[in-house]
Amino acid sequence: MNINRVFGLVLICAMVLLAAGIASAQDMVTLRVWTGSSSPVENEFKEAQIAAFEEANPGIDVELLISPDYGTQIRAGFASGDYAEVFTVGQFDFPQWQHDGLLAPGSMYIEAQEDIYQGLRDAFTADGELYCAAKDFSTLALLYNVDAFAAAGVDAPGADWTWDDMAAAAAATTDDDMVGFSAAADKFRWMTLFYANGAEVFDMDGAVAFDSDAAIEALSFYQSFVADGTGDLPSNLNAGWNGEAFGQASAAMTIEGNWAIGYLNDTFPELNWGVAEIPVAPNGGRGTLTFTECWAVSSRAEGAVAEAAWALVNFLTGEGEHGGHAVAAAGFGVMPARAQFAELWSQTVGEEYAAFVTGASYATAPIFPLGFGDFDAAVNEATTLVMTMEEDAADALQEAADVAREIQAEME
Amino acid sequence: MSSVSAAASDAAPVRTQAQQNRADSAAGLSFVAPAALILFVFLILPLLVAFYFSFTNWSGTRPLDHPEAYEVVGLKNYDRWLVSGRRVDDFYRAVRNTLYYVIGVVPVQTVFALLLAVVVNQRWLSRKGFFRTAFYFPSITSSIVVSFIFLFLFSAGGPINAVLGAISPTYEPVAWTTNNDGLFHLFLESLGISEDTIGAWVETEIMDLEIWDWIAGPSVALSTIMALAIWTTTGTLMVIYLSALQGIPSSVYEAAEVDGATNWAQFRHITLPLLRPTSFFVVTLGLIGAFQVFDQIYVLQNDQTGRTTTSVAYLVYSTAFEGNSPNLAEASAIAIVLFVIIFIATLLQRRFVGGDRAES
Repeated sequence: MNINRVFGLVLICAMVLLAAGIASAQDMVTLRVWTGSSSPVENEFKEAQIAAFEEANPGIDVELLISPDYGTQIRAGFASGDYAEVFTVGQFDFPQWQHDGLLAPGSMYIEAQEDIYQGLRDAFTADGELYCAAKDFSTLALLYNVDAFAAAGVDAPGADWTWDDMAAAAAATTDDDMVGFSAAADKFRWMTLFYANGAEVFDMDGAVAFDSDAAIEALSFYQSFVADGTGDLPSNLNAGWNGEAFGQASAAMTIEGNWAIGYLNDTFPELNWGVAEIPVAPNGGRGTLTFTECWAVSSRAEGAVAEAAWALVNFLTGEGEHGGHAVAAAGFGVMPARAQFAELWSQTVGEEYAAFVTGASYATAPIFPLGFGDFDAAVNEATTLVMTMEEDAADALQEAADVAREIQAEME
Repeated sequence: MSSVSAAASDAAPVRTQAQQNRADSAAGLSFVAPAALILFVFLILPLLVAFYFSFTNWSGTRPLDHPEAYEVVGLKNYDRWLVSGRRVDDFYRAVRNTLYYVIGVVPVQTVFALLLAVVVNQRWLSRKGFFRTAFYFPSITSSIVVSFIFLFLFSAGGPINAVLGAISPTYEPVAWTTNNDGLFHLFLESLGISEDTIGAWVETEIMDLEIWDWIAGPSVALSTIMALAIWTTTGTLMVIYLSALQGIPSSVYEAAEVDGATNWAQFRHITLPLLRPTSFFVVTLGLIGAFQVFDQIYVLQNDQTGRTTTSVAYLVYSTAFEGNSPNLAEASAIAIVLFVIIFIATLLQRRFVGGDRAES
């Protein structure tokens, strides 16, 4: 056998293998899946979900990328037009990404949509079309220090607790070492009261109602804690955020989300604390805010790839055991997006945290429409000015609302 | 000789001076080509692309191969942030904060760096290595980590307030990281002058900001960030001065000593003039770095201090990536303006510090 023959034989073998490879690759669908990195536990959870999907669907190959700098990563992908088939979308990015035509419409594909909480569906709906399936969510609730309440002789907040009760409790628990309420200068804290009080950014006719009486009442109430010394900003309480101020017992109450559960229990194991719903507004209304993320399919996915992509999205977020059920059973803080698993989540993390999931039924995702970036900035500024006692709520809200009106006028 | 070269020019031509120059420059170009290519691809090209996009309405997320990826909108983004938009005041506030930051940080860190370098360079100083390391240490520590340490040190109940409280019993704890009061405002206040008593002229708006706001001075929170910046960068600049100091031949000083020059005269008339190119370099470096301040502000800024601590560079970031409608085109426009500001500042200081040549 001379060397040419050997070479020829090798060449033929290689070609046969290559042909076989191409044939099998044609049957395989490859999905790129991109998402952001959060806690190690949550990353492992996502990896396990994907592994289960691959096992159940041998014809689909998933390339999972968990990126620590997801925003930059996916934006670069968008700009070049070469991005993942399946990726996560935060509620605040949704309007822009939907507008930019990056997301495939999902009404036809997402399974059992009615079971997803209304507030979460609204967050990912544009022009009546549901674009993506919420994977999990968080809400805000009232955290209270059980020991401080007992020491001050205040009853633990129940479901019928009102704003007056809250103000009274804040006054009763305030002493030399502690204020009653840690009130961060963050629009996504006081706006729980805003929605509870029946205020809206836009009224039924689409006119700006951000400076309505209900809105002013809500922000004034939030400011009143700082004004009368029964509350303070976390930075004045030696803390970086509400959770820290509450954890180190500088404040008897605060408004925070379910992400605080793990933080408080790990960082302040001695702290004896409880959760209640956001207190009932004077008009009897309820409200809270929700923050969510969804799994979306790229508008560029077509045919078999699109089918596989939606199968994956339903696998990750649907009613099956690896979707909402798994999120509930994992119990690492975020809550399953489907109402049917709420009970399971409470059982997993503990019934004492049930107020977070109760809020889901009336929670609003605080998303301003696209093009209202200046309004967003104006609301931040208004919040800062009010919470540093430089302006009263009525003036600050009116200034912000005027910005929204101006934007609206320009858009028409 | 001449006959040889004449004969050779027929067969294999002898290189003329011009040809030699051409060959040399080709070799030179090929040597700088890799670096030039890298500079072009990663520095010049992005700069040009940013410049181009600053005239468009590209959101930053719409794929560029999309048929309606963006439109060219001319000077609209510049107009919106510099002239007639709703957030013009935010821009000029950021400019004001950045200017105070630069004016506060650059001279102080330069003088400190020079002093430290001169001290560390003294012959009588033992354990030079220790001091060099100690002074340089903040510079090699991650600025994010340093920022967090400062956040802790300057927090309302932190060590700084505790020490000051121990020294003076009447001391009222200062909320260093959250106080928005401008230093000049506080100074005027201590003289009994307030916005209401100083006269109506301070309410005149220049570039959407009242004169009273322009003359606020750096806020307490910004001053804390400035202190941090001075502390971290002084070390780097000290090392640059140190190497320049060691480059001054000792014979110059010996000659001066023979002539009876005092230490101060030596420093004033020998060291300083000979360090002039280094000073130019150090001030330029400091200026550019200070104008671009971002990471310390990213960490130390909080909900309450946004208006007095936001720098132009931070504004670029928040416009591009934060909030309800992130907009890369507008961010590019602000970035280009920042570039122009830095360019002008560098030209100005070239006039004042006198360029990169040593005084003869």
